[in-house]
Amino acid sequence: MPKAIELKNFSYRYHDGTVALRDITLSIEHGQRVALIGPNGAGKSTLLLAMSGFVKGTGKVLVDGLEINKKNLKKIRTIISSCMENPDDQLFMPTLFDDVAFGPLNMGLEAEQIKIRVADALRTVGLSDMSERAPHHLSAGQKRAAAIATVLSMAPEIITFDEPDGSLDPRNRNNLIKLLTALPQTLIIATCNMNFAAAIAGRAILLDKGRIIADGGAEKIMSDSKLMAEHGLEVPVKLQGR
Amino acid sequence: MHHAHIDKFAYQDSFIHRLDGRVKFIAVIVFTAVVISLPRTSFSILACYAVGPFAILVWAKIPLRFVFKQVLMVSPFVLVLALSCPLYDRTSVVVAFGPFSWRSTLGWIRGFTILGKFTVTMLALIGLVSTTRFSDLLTALQRLGLPKLLIVQLGFLYRYIFVLIDRAHHILRARAGRSMRNLGFKTELKTASAMLGSLLIRSIDTAEHISIAMQARGFDGTWHTLSKLRIRHRDYIFAVAVSCFLLTLHFFVRPVLQ
Repeated sequence: MPKAIELKNFSYRYHDGTVALRDITLSIEHGQRVALIGPNGAGKSTLLLAMSGFVKGTGKVLVDGLEINKKNLKKIRTIISSCMENPDDQLFMPTLFDDVAFGPLNMGLEAEQIKIRVADALRTVGLSDMSERAPHHLSAGQKRAAAIATVLSMAPEIITFDEPDGSLDPRNRNNLIKLLTALPQTLIIATCNMNFAAAIAGRAILLDKGRIIADGGAEKIMSDSKLMAEHGLEVPVKLQGR
Repeated sequence: MHHAHIDKFAYQDSFIHRLDGRVKFIAVIVFTAVVISLPRTSFSILACYAVGPFAILVWAKIPLRFVFKQVLMVSPFVLVLALSCPLYDRTSVVVAFGPFSWRSTLGWIRGFTILGKFTVTMLALIGLVSTTRFSDLLTALQRLGLPKLLIVQLGFLYRYIFVLIDRAHHILRARAGRSMRNLGFKTELKTASAMLGSLLIRSIDTAEHISIAMQARGFDGTWHTLSKLRIRHRDYIFAVAVSCFLLTLHFFVRPVLQ
């Protein structure tokens, strides 16, 4: 069975020549929940974009065994979905229903099937009664949940999240943790919040200055206080003293 | 941040709210065209025309205070135009109202007519946007044949204008928090242009992110929608009522001001 994500010697430079990712080689199995951890500017968001085919560098990127290229891109978009850092960037339609239906409509599904998918996705994130609301009428927590619904309605196998816990209060963050841990998909979550990462991920990939510094069990990596401090991170509360 | 949205009351429920957006839109366009084409001597008839949108606003339970606030908000532009009329047309005329008569100028009559037409058509327009959700209005416009690109742009405008306003507020607040004294016109102008530049760059950034979010959900340049519009019996009743109202006013009501 092909891996969910495979990167082979992938490197990427920004237009100004700054190296964003250097020689990244990694593979992620289906069903894994992986936290991409690292300080600001480590290259986490760029790596997520590379996995979804939004940045093109040197090396190979395979999604469910399909190499990212023009020919496979449409198929790849149905396998992997991305949740942006700012929900306002993700929610661009006039109503929540239209936003959640946007992906399935582009997939060419029938109207009835789309309605079922929208209802299911909104129920999963707890926004069933808000389908006709305009996104700017939602609170920060609701916007985050709505953004997740927009990708769930496409029923992807892999979902990438860029700093999904940003600007959430503890209650909404806990709700998000419950929601994400209940999802059956392969999840790749880029975050600077170690407590959040420790609550969700079974595997952690530590990234700094565009390189993979460590890759392994989330608890093992995040409980290494020396490693965490070296890269401007902290040990999660639940792993302190181990 | 909370904003005063133009379709603030469109989420209520009433007979008017339940009408098809296309029917309401066409009714408002026809009504506006009829009101605009009234002759300048028909100032007094405008009060009769105002009854229509006024009744709809009351029926749809739209607070009249909100309505008049909206009219006042856009009135400065028309006020300038109306008040300039007496300046360039000073032809003397006699105005008669029953047994009373007085002297005025054609400019004043024109000015009042412009203000009257503006108020009546604004009432109809506010009636439309306050009883139709913006998303339904966009769908209605699309079904009426407006170009998809225009619909998409209107949708984005409505969705992101509030995000942009929020950002502008944040930038202004950040400036206010650090400006202890007036630095002079030149420096203030420089600061303002830098703020505008920052807003523009952030907007471009947002546009790029939206583009990625759209492509990630399979967007390939073709805009698909699930249209929820359907013409029902009530829409026919409404269309007939509006037609009767306009025809009655056109054929049976004569101006009382001569």
